[in-house]
Amino acid sequence: MSLGDIPIQLEVGGLTGSAPAVLREIAYLLERLTRYGEAGSIDLHGLPLSPADRRWLLDQLGRGEIEIALEIGGGSRIVETAYPGVWWVAHDNEQGVRTSEFIEVTLIPDLVPAHPDDVESGLKNLKSRISDLS
Amino acid sequence: MNEKSGSLIDSLERQGVSRRTFMKYCATLASLMALPPAVGRAFAEALAKATRPSVIWLSFQECTGCTESLTRSHTPTLESLIFDSISLDYHHTLQAAAGTAAEAAREAAMKLNWGKYLLVVDGSVPMKDGGVYSTIAGVSNHDMLMDTVKGAAAVVAVGTCAAFGGLPKAQPNPTGAVAISDLVKDKPVVNVSGCPPIPVVMTGVLAHFLAFGSLPELDKLGRPLAFYGETIHDRCYRRPFYDQGKFAKTFDDEGARQGWCLFELGCKGPVTYNSCATVKWNDGTSFPIESGHGCLGCSEPDFWDAGGFYRALSLPANPLHVAATAVEVGAVVGVGVALANRAGKSAAKAGHETATLADLEK
Repeated sequence: MSLGDIPIQLEVGGLTGSAPAVLREIAYLLERLTRYGEAGSIDLHGLPLSPADRRWLLDQLGRGEIEIALEIGGGSRIVETAYPGVWWVAHDNEQGVRTSEFIEVTLIPDLVPAHPDDVESGLKNLKSRISDLS
Repeated sequence: MNEKSGSLIDSLERQGVSRRTFMKYCATLASLMALPPAVGRAFAEALAKATRPSVIWLSFQECTGCTESLTRSHTPTLESLIFDSISLDYHHTLQAAAGTAAEAAREAAMKLNWGKYLLVVDGSVPMKDGGVYSTIAGVSNHDMLMDTVKGAAAVVAVGTCAAFGGLPKAQPNPTGAVAISDLVKDKPVVNVSGCPPIPVVMTGVLAHFLAFGSLPELDKLGRPLAFYGETIHDRCYRRPFYDQGKFAKTFDDEGARQGWCLFELGCKGPVTYNSCATVKWNDGTSFPIESGHGCLGCSEPDFWDAGGFYRALSLPANPLHVAATAVEVGAVVGVGVALANRAGKSAAKAGHETATLADLEK
């Protein structure tokens, strides 16, 4: 018997009215990104969104062209929305439990680009592999 | 040895933890600590560059449950990896050294990191009869604490025993147990209360100290506000039932099966500040209320003497501070609960019916 089988029925209700405010904040962040090149982020974990609010928000944002799946200490998904520059980022732990969720308004989400230090050590490793060939 | 050697990220990399994994962990930790996402990025950068801190861990009147909570998990987590990355120079339970060698390690670490090491303490300190009820290497807990705290940058009191006296301080407090903050007055003391505390709270305090060189914002009881800023009740998924006045009366009635509020079964959620309802336990699986049992209030001072785990908060003789929300409902529910308890007890006596735990305690 899993936790999901315990017959606890939640009366979670419908839309609370919070989600449209999030949509407006996204528009504000997107405007800052286009005008000043400043990236922004909204931490969904800290917002009192009901499951219905979350579904509404996902519907409003739609899907874009890119979806990135990462396996880094549990699964993570970075999904581009229908609005370029707006990304839905969700992190799960090793047990598949959602640990944090963000909307990132940026050209490329933070987790995607390689870090210069890592590139440097990668180059060192590659050179060492090449020297082993000879 | 390159310039990164000795940094936290370097240490994690050696353990096979990638930078992206670390960044993901920092994003989640920053979210839990209610840091704005922009600060979260700076947090990750600063934490990656931080050097391994020296930590001296003293265990006094305690059960080792706090150490178990912080070091055990079903799978290796980043909490445990970061915990492994600190230089834990003295810990009774975990260190290999014993006796004179162990005490020499503590003294050497103090000397080497004077003014910079973190002192973590679990357990309360017995003061009665000269502190004879708990000694280490012939030194009383009091004397060892006061000696070790001199060179510490800050003190973290882990668990309710260290934070508030806990179980050893429960009436009649035979050893004269006191909390760490009762003794340490000239160093910052962070109380990470709970019996045991949630592991990520400890990691959050440590990470904040490493990344920003300061301690996180604390509440009036010295607890990190990010984790103890709201009551269990505030964030409980059963809260809608409380608002609707739907309460389970026994642990196996229809209300319990429907997942109704456990207030009348003694849940201390309304007066307990902790983040069990959001962070949860066992790698995010659940928390006690989700398993059908009320909150015991273990992160609050004197929870052990709060008049009974199954006594509703609205009933009299409750030493825990009753928050405004509970008082409000108490006026309505309390009378009903008291009457129901009395009636239940009489009915049980007369008809040998099953009485609730609340009936038994009344």
